[in-house]
Amino acid sequence: MKAAPFAYDAPTTPEEAVGVLAEHGDAAKVLAGGQSLLPMLALRLAVFDRLVDVGRIGALQGIERRGDALWIGAGTTDAAVERSAEVASAAPLVARATPLIGHLQIRNRGTLGGSIAHADPAAEYPAVALALDASMDVLGPGGRRTVAAADFFTGLWSTVVEPDELLVGVSFPVWSGRCGFAVEEFARRHGDFAIAGAVVAVELGGDDGVRRCAVGLIGMGSTPLRAPTAEKAATGAAVGGVDADEIGRLAAADAVGVPSDLHGTAGYRRRVCAAVVTRAWTKAVEEARRG
Amino acid sequence: MDEIVVEVRVNGAPRRAQVEPRLTLADFLRERCRLTGTHLGCEHGVCGACTVLLDGAAVRSCLVLAVQAQGREVTTVEGLATDGGLTDVQQAFRDCHGLQCGFCTPGFVVTVTAMLADDPAPDDTAVREALSGNLCRCTGYQGILAAVRSVVDERAKEAS
Amino acid sequence: MPRVEDARLLTGRGTYVDDVLVPGVLHACFVRSPFARAAVRGVEVGEAQAVPGVRAVLTAADLNPGVREQWHTSIGPQGPETARPPLAEGEVRFVGDPVALVVAESRHLAEDAADLVDVDYEPLPAVIDYTTAEQADALVHEAHGSNLIGTIAIPASDRLTETFASAAHVASETIRQQGYAAVPMEARGIVVVPDPATGDLTIYAATQAPHEWRLFCSRLLGIPEHRIRVVMRDTGGGFGQKVLVQREDMCIMLAAPHLGVPVKWVEDRRENLMAAGKSREEQADVRMAFDEDGTILAADIDFVSDCGAYPTPWPVMTAAAVGALFPGPYRVPAATFATRSVYTNTVGRTAYRGPWQFETLAREVLLDIAARDMGIDPVDLRRRNLLRHDELPFRNPNGMAYDNVSPLETLEQAVEMLGYEAFRAQQAAARVEGRYLGVGVSTYVEPSTPGYGAYATEAATIRIEPSGKVNVYIAGGSTGNSIETTVVQLTADALGVPIEDVATIQGDTAVTGFGAGAAGSRSGSMTAGAVRDTAAILRERIRAIVAHKLEAAAEDVELADGRASVRGTPSAGLTLAEVAGLAYFDPYGLPPGVPAGLEASARYTAEARSIWVNATHLCTCEVDVATGAVRLLRYIVSEDCGPMINPNVVEGQIAGGAVQGIGGVLYEHLAYDDAGNPVTTTFMDYLLPTATEVPVIEYGHIETPSPGPGGYKGVGEGGAIGAPPAVVNAVADALSPFGVRITSLPLSPFEVVALLDPSVREPA
Repeated sequence: MKAAPFAYDAPTTPEEAVGVLAEHGDAAKVLAGGQSLLPMLALRLAVFDRLVDVGRIGALQGIERRGDALWIGAGTTDAAVERSAEVASAAPLVARATPLIGHLQIRNRGTLGGSIAHADPAAEYPAVALALDASMDVLGPGGRRTVAAADFFTGLWSTVVEPDELLVGVSFPVWSGRCGFAVEEFARRHGDFAIAGAVVAVELGGDDGVRRCAVGLIGMGSTPLRAPTAEKAATGAAVGGVDADEIGRLAAADAVGVPSDLHGTAGYRRRVCAAVVTRAWTKAVEEARRG
Repeated sequence: MDEIVVEVRVNGAPRRAQVEPRLTLADFLRERCRLTGTHLGCEHGVCGACTVLLDGAAVRSCLVLAVQAQGREVTTVEGLATDGGLTDVQQAFRDCHGLQCGFCTPGFVVTVTAMLADDPAPDDTAVREALSGNLCRCTGYQGILAAVRSVVDERAKEAS
Repeated sequence: MPRVEDARLLTGRGTYVDDVLVPGVLHACFVRSPFARAAVRGVEVGEAQAVPGVRAVLTAADLNPGVREQWHTSIGPQGPETARPPLAEGEVRFVGDPVALVVAESRHLAEDAADLVDVDYEPLPAVIDYTTAEQADALVHEAHGSNLIGTIAIPASDRLTETFASAAHVASETIRQQGYAAVPMEARGIVVVPDPATGDLTIYAATQAPHEWRLFCSRLLGIPEHRIRVVMRDTGGGFGQKVLVQREDMCIMLAAPHLGVPVKWVEDRRENLMAAGKSREEQADVRMAFDEDGTILAADIDFVSDCGAYPTPWPVMTAAAVGALFPGPYRVPAATFATRSVYTNTVGRTAYRGPWQFETLAREVLLDIAARDMGIDPVDLRRRNLLRHDELPFRNPNGMAYDNVSPLETLEQAVEMLGYEAFRAQQAAARVEGRYLGVGVSTYVEPSTPGYGAYATEAATIRIEPSGKVNVYIAGGSTGNSIETTVVQLTADALGVPIEDVATIQGDTAVTGFGAGAAGSRSGSMTAGAVRDTAAILRERIRAIVAHKLEAAAEDVELADGRASVRGTPSAGLTLAEVAGLAYFDPYGLPPGVPAGLEASARYTAEARSIWVNATHLCTCEVDVATGAVRLLRYIVSEDCGPMINPNVVEGQIAGGAVQGIGGVLYEHLAYDDAGNPVTTTFMDYLLPTATEVPVIEYGHIETPSPGPGGYKGVGEGGAIGAPPAVVNAVADALSPFGVRITSLPLSPFEVVALLDPSVREPA
């Protein structure tokens, strides 16, 4: 299973990369970790004339606290994110989603930016970015722009990033106070894409009221999803009065465009979704209460 | 498509070749370096039979282009034992009947070597999760898990 | 003892077929049909041929006429085989059917060129559903005249009909198993090296049966057998898929001499999942009649098997085995069976570890359903009906004569290892908490070591070299079954030499005598016989030489630790090196009648048609009813494979087979859509169990000797036979509070939930 031939560039700055992309348009494709792209090329499911390898661009690497946000360079590997004490403390949801990504060999090459730009609805990072209202830094021939996560994902495997643009970094807002975070996924085997998954963040007030919460859904649509009805039902309520099963049910009902495939129907996915949301909610709340 | 000159250190020795960009690191090692211990079980990044160390990190060499390894260090199964014998990981696989046909074995041995360098005292769950990216069809994983457990225990004994 | 294979395999120095380096070799890639059934109106190769580095693009017209004869030794030339054109000729019959062969300087270039081959297909109506194939208008093989390959059946007697009609309880279900496959970690592969000067052929292949491949190739090409050499060094798993030459192998055997260059074909994973063959796709209506105590009165199976378009021969026989073995190791007084094998426009059926294992799946699942319906514990139901060792030999109602097995004993051992009563208490407590645990059991009996035709003999050659070191040559065909180690161990024991002094050469037809290969769980027993008979010749000769030299009686000479000593006088003896020195370099000093040298060959012939083996598998699980996930807790195998040559090897074989069986129930599915497109052609979709899904396997051993050499029995296939129903029964037991009946596989989490809540099947 050998890929069709392609040309190869390895720019060292984001601007250089964008220059090549602008020159070649659709015929060129960004190569980051390659863990999603290279299998597709090997299977000849996709063909590109040119790969632009962004793995040598230092400016895409890094994890740094910038005010209220944690900035992670798009080229940062999953493994670097997994090892980072900074991520563990400033963006626990990102840290806890990471070990669920594939397998250690994948995480040693796969990048956070690559996963978000690839926008597989069954992947972890897109749902985390959406749940935390992250913002994506995108560089194009016309300059830089920042896109809110809510506007970033446009459909199955598609985002607002144009063929001549490059995702440069992602800023995750830092939650402080009495917070709890949890990621729960159900997959056929360890490391497989989730059949349904949930990422939950919750912040409690001193009175145990739910100050804010976010429920992100994995694998429940053509993009990562939020569960607005579930979030609304919990926000402002006394956390002890929030029924975790109800949150799960509401979240499952919030999903639109739920897929049906070899692993199960949409109805089955909703059932699983409800269960994983319930479990994630329960865990996140337990953690928040301890804080 | 134009070929690119790539320089890689493989098992400590410098290698230089002219390659098509599409040539995977796995094929580079097997065909250009004649190191056939790295095996192709799927070529789409699931089975782990092609696992090598790239700058010390376990990676699927079928999902790395040779050109991406430019200037880096690659260690294959052939390069693990430096004195012609077997490493403790390899010996444990042998002692615990952790292989039958041997096709998946280099990938497992490399993965285990890297995994224990990162985490010397994994519990059973951590071991299984770390191995979940390598497929074996012959052993049912029983001997493999026993081998890893035995290395962890032996190294702990020696450390104390 | 550590395996002799391990040092090279652990250091990446094995030689699998893709590792073989042949100067000037060209690489092959097949162009394959994207349609389940289509007429081939034309194949345009010009654009592909023009790609630089492409040597040839071959079609049926180029290759197929080169076929002289095409048949497998075990079937014979007059067998009712499906006609198998090397390349598809005029019609393609499954998605993946090879239509053209590109040969180029690299696999990369060959694949590039394959994309440019333009085949003019005219799609035709295809037969996909095997349960209705016999009624379909379309014919998979027009020349065959029907989609029924064959049927073997025993008509039900009036008495049997009456027994079912009047029984206190009849359990009756349709049990269905999905298609899945062997999926060895190394896919198929072959290198054919012609010698244009002599017409000789050297073949390197990933095969379980090198000598059979040599014979097949000789007939195929009309080259005398002794001018062909087949070499199999290391092969990465086979499980039945690599026993017989398939169509792609034929194409390479034809193409290399046709082009006059060495040609290598290494199958990739997508091809392997699409075209190497499928197994297990089958279903049956099964019935058992019981009296009011749960004693089995009769059993009946009406079985149909999906054999795809090009089954490797001969599937009708395997289907008959399902029927004949259905009564299993139980005291069943009366039975009947009907079996049908049908064609469909999907990939052909190949043998896979215990090809007839559906009989155990269906019977053991039915027994548990019957037990629950009758209010009898499933283990108790088995206790009442399983054969005991002292009832043997026992002829089952279909004529299978079991002997030297211990069905009830393995059940009792497995149940004791679990602590069955304690588990039932644990299960009850968990249910109160809303957690669903279950236990499942399955018991089977299996014919190993086939004693007929080419399988009935196995030869060995042993050479004690002049320095006293030993080489043992056997046919081989090991794809991971440790037969190198087994043979070294047996030889060392037989000659009384240290294991380090013995080496083995296998898998090379130029050097070893004919052997049918590693199939039918035969290698342990057959090589034991071959080594025993060959070593006996040498032991006698060594004793005679030593007795003569030391003026002792031959019967007083003992062999141990590389020495031949006189019993009672340990200082009086010779090392094997000294004996060899006499045998090779002082022939005139040997006793009269004793030949010079220390080389011997013998061919062992199996004494029985089958060597019966049995085991019980027992599994506990927890089912998450929200998601349908099944987690296996404990997994126990009590097996009786007779005395064990090497317990590690035995347990390794059981474990591998059991995990394949677990995979077959919970994860694996070689699936097609309604149009006949395969939808699980990568490891993203065809799911194999990993280290996180498998339980720890616990073993109990019972050692009832067989009449064969050493009392050994075959152990290669049993795990894949016993495991699936143990898992199914555990899940069904866990879900018994919900009243579900599990009769159809796979048990994916979705299917488990659908059993609990059928409304999830509805489209959104």
